[in-house]
Amino acid sequence: MPTFHPGRRFLVWLLACLLLSLILLVYPIYVIRPFRAQGPRELALALAVLRYRPAGMAACVIAVFSLIAWYWRREKRVLRRLISSTGLVAVSAAALLSRVNVYELMFHPIDRATFSTAAAASLDGDENVIAVRLGSVARAYPIRAMSYHHLLNDTLDGIPIVPTY
Amino acid sequence: MWRAEIDGLRLSFHLAGINNQNFLMRDDQTGTYWQQISGRAISGPLAGRQLTRVPSDELTFALWKSEQPQGTVLDDVAVFRTQYAAKDWDVRMRRAPTVLSYPESGVAARELIVGLRASGASRAFPYDAVLAHRLIEDRVGSELVVLVTGPDGKSVRAFRSHIPGTAAVPEFYRLEQSAATPASSLFMDSATGSQWDFQGCAVSGPSHGICLDRLEALKDYWFDWRNYNPATSFYKEPAQPGPPR
Repeated sequence: MPTFHPGRRFLVWLLACLLLSLILLVYPIYVIRPFRAQGPRELALALAVLRYRPAGMAACVIAVFSLIAWYWRREKRVLRRLISSTGLVAVSAAALLSRVNVYELMFHPIDRATFSTAAAASLDGDENVIAVRLGSVARAYPIRAMSYHHLLNDTLDGIPIVPTY
Repeated sequence: MWRAEIDGLRLSFHLAGINNQNFLMRDDQTGTYWQQISGRAISGPLAGRQLTRVPSDELTFALWKSEQPQGTVLDDVAVFRTQYAAKDWDVRMRRAPTVLSYPESGVAARELIVGLRASGASRAFPYDAVLAHRLIEDRVGSELVVLVTGPDGKSVRAFRSHIPGTAAVPEFYRLEQSAATPASSLFMDSATGSQWDFQGCAVSGPSHGICLDRLEALKDYWFDWRNYNPATSFYKEPAQPGPPR
């Protein structure tokens, strides 16, 4: 039976972890992107990946950290130790990047919405708005802004609503 | 527009992706992914659940302001203002590519439509045709409906044709403005001769004070409406009679 050299065994597992973290990072971006048709199965899989990705990435980081600790106990050469550490940097970078919501980088959310009275608002008369009235309270959301932000977490007449566009 | 709560749990949403050019949002509380156009949870712990629709309109600002002078308006976020679209964004987007199309329907993917749902059916009306006719009477499933263009010539609302509290399901006619009609009158019914405004309320005649039931009228592109309403029908204008021979 062939026996793996510790360095080779380390490399195989390291590459496996790197590949897994790369798949976790890239697959949802590949599937869920504008101007590409999304099939129901691939979308379901991409969303499942997104849902479980934080745990998967954490597992990858812990696994690579453990691998490097294991490798360093067997490998005393400094250069090889340093090279092996790049694996941890790479998988940590993938984990950090996976925390970035690229859609909110493209279309920033409204953190603190402010409102003006109808009389004070400086919109053109022919500009379109999304209009809602709950109870005696009416509010308008200009399409110009909503087509950029796409949604807003708001409360009207005590009712939490999410206008979308 | 949706109520941001389910089973008493208040939800806050973030933009989370796109599904065939309709965006996905994710709630912070459960991590569920929701489809914007349908309000349906498509993945996560609440998959299969449905948000409650909040009735809303797409109107011009001038018309909305005339109806709701006490209302408030979302301010621009100053740092992003330069990235906002032009006010005719939906018209400009007609030139943008789509990932879905339905050539068998004979309708362009980016055709702007007004989508209605009633009695378990759905139907799309070309937005330009609604504006051109200013009033269209039609049927969605078994429901008789009337679509009306507002006094601004841009905003559209839809109502059930039945006059509440009566057995009347009249025909409606658009009114030309004259000194004899109340300023807000837009259309008249054949059963009572009452005149109705853009909010669907009778402003004169025997039905004065009665309001028609409003239907949610969604302005959308055909490909998006058709994707989420696969059984939808499409309104085609009646053929004009040819010249006499």
